[in-house]
Amino acid sequence: MTNDISTLVPSVLSRPYRYVKLDWNAEYSMLTVRMAVRPIQCYSLAAMAELQQVFNDISASPGLVRHFVMASDVQGVFNFGGDLSLFVLLVRAHDLESLRLYARRCIDLVWWWENAAHLNVHTTALVQGDALGGGLESALLHHTVICERSAQAGFPEVLFNLFPGMGGWNLTIRRGGYAVANDLILSGQIYTADQLYRRGLVEMVVEDGQAPVALQAMARALEPRFRGTMAALQARRMAAPVSHELLLNIVDHWAVSAMSLNTRDVRLMERLARAQVRKVGGAAEGAVEEIKRMELDTAWGFERTGFSEWATIT
Amino acid sequence: MSTFFLDLVSATDEARREFESSSKVLDIVANGLSLDRYRNLLLELYHVVWHFNPTCAAAAARVGDEHRNVRYFLYDHMHEEQGHEQWVLNDLSAMGVSADRARAYKPTMVMLGLNGYNYWSADRRHPCSVLGMVYALEVVASVYGGQMTAAITDSLLLRGDQGITFISSHATMDVEHLAELRVVLNQIEDEEAKNAVVESTSFNFHQFGRVFELI
Repeated sequence: MTNDISTLVPSVLSRPYRYVKLDWNAEYSMLTVRMAVRPIQCYSLAAMAELQQVFNDISASPGLVRHFVMASDVQGVFNFGGDLSLFVLLVRAHDLESLRLYARRCIDLVWWWENAAHLNVHTTALVQGDALGGGLESALLHHTVICERSAQAGFPEVLFNLFPGMGGWNLTIRRGGYAVANDLILSGQIYTADQLYRRGLVEMVVEDGQAPVALQAMARALEPRFRGTMAALQARRMAAPVSHELLLNIVDHWAVSAMSLNTRDVRLMERLARAQVRKVGGAAEGAVEEIKRMELDTAWGFERTGFSEWATIT
Repeated sequence: MSTFFLDLVSATDEARREFESSSKVLDIVANGLSLDRYRNLLLELYHVVWHFNPTCAAAAARVGDEHRNVRYFLYDHMHEEQGHEQWVLNDLSAMGVSADRARAYKPTMVMLGLNGYNYWSADRRHPCSVLGMVYALEVVASVYGGQMTAAITDSLLLRGDQGITFISSHATMDVEHLAELRVVLNQIEDEEAKNAVVESTSFNFHQFGRVFELI
């Protein structure tokens, strides 16, 4: 068996992927994964299987990849996160087992990201466009998150009575604290890149189109202190640990919660899924605008009826 | 280890998404249909419903004893679907199309291809393939039936369930059907049957998408 990196790189890059595109930068040993899941840029089962293969290849060749970069090949969208269309199908089919399996496959990916520092791999997310739900969770998993100015992100799950279950709470608390996590997750509000930066959720906000330049600058700056940085990031994880068991417990709770969604919730998920297609299809308005409309609809519903959970409690 | 239902959903993901992201389908969900296009849709659907039970019967007759649960599932399903073509005819009548005209309607080549494939697949490919047809129809009905009903009711200014009984009732019924279908699909173990179901599902989604584009 050879450990010659020059032979390992082509083998990693030459796999016939459909939903991920790989770029290799030899100068920094930087592997960039651009996701291109059509028609909706989300974590479909097939896309996750390919990403898992990329992770397996990186893990199988220690030292080959020093920088892992997650980016999007879809204009205006980083990632819409969970496969809403699949969720709807599984909820309608009362298929808790499959929903739990999907969720656990997500945690497999989360766990690789979480342990990347121990593989001496520095991870960076280039958020160019909308990052919703699991899309934001996956971005927050990276050691460094670079957002372009027009990027928007949030956890809209609460609008359809769900919550981000694939590490969302842990990651947001770790980066921004409880108050920020409460606000972000329980409000369902969408944040601008600047708002994310002010809350400590992302490391850098750059002008649109400048994320690749910022990435190169970051890699260059990191180069002379790479080993120390990786050691520090490993220690950081020890300081604020997230256990695999905890992630699995939360994701199981998420799957059970999803099974209790009612018709209205499922309809909202479908509405959001259709809006995601519109944005990916090049329309000016997409999922983020639909979420804002859904928030307004919910508020109007309250105005009209006068009922709220608070009114019931008090 | 994943179940066959999840494997099926995953393996036919692209075909389902292709249907769901069709601009014509999205437009119908958002804006409904003109009277002419709705009549065309019902005329095409009549041929789906009219051939549904004979296709299931062909499959039930050919399925081996090792798949007796599939056979029983088909018996139940046929019983439930029996006579539903009359609902389509009633809706067409409410839209000004007589039953005679509906029966004389020549379906599109796409619809002929869809029905022809389903018969052929049940006969020559594998009788379990009919479950792919059922799955695709359940998804189309349960996911889109309700939304299309609302949009068509609004666009044609219909009152109550006048002219939309078939689509609206299947939108509700098929929600439970999907759960029942999952159970029977998860009991299939041989690869030949599984492959036939996957192929049939993809083909049915594909053809259904073309039907919506043609009406």
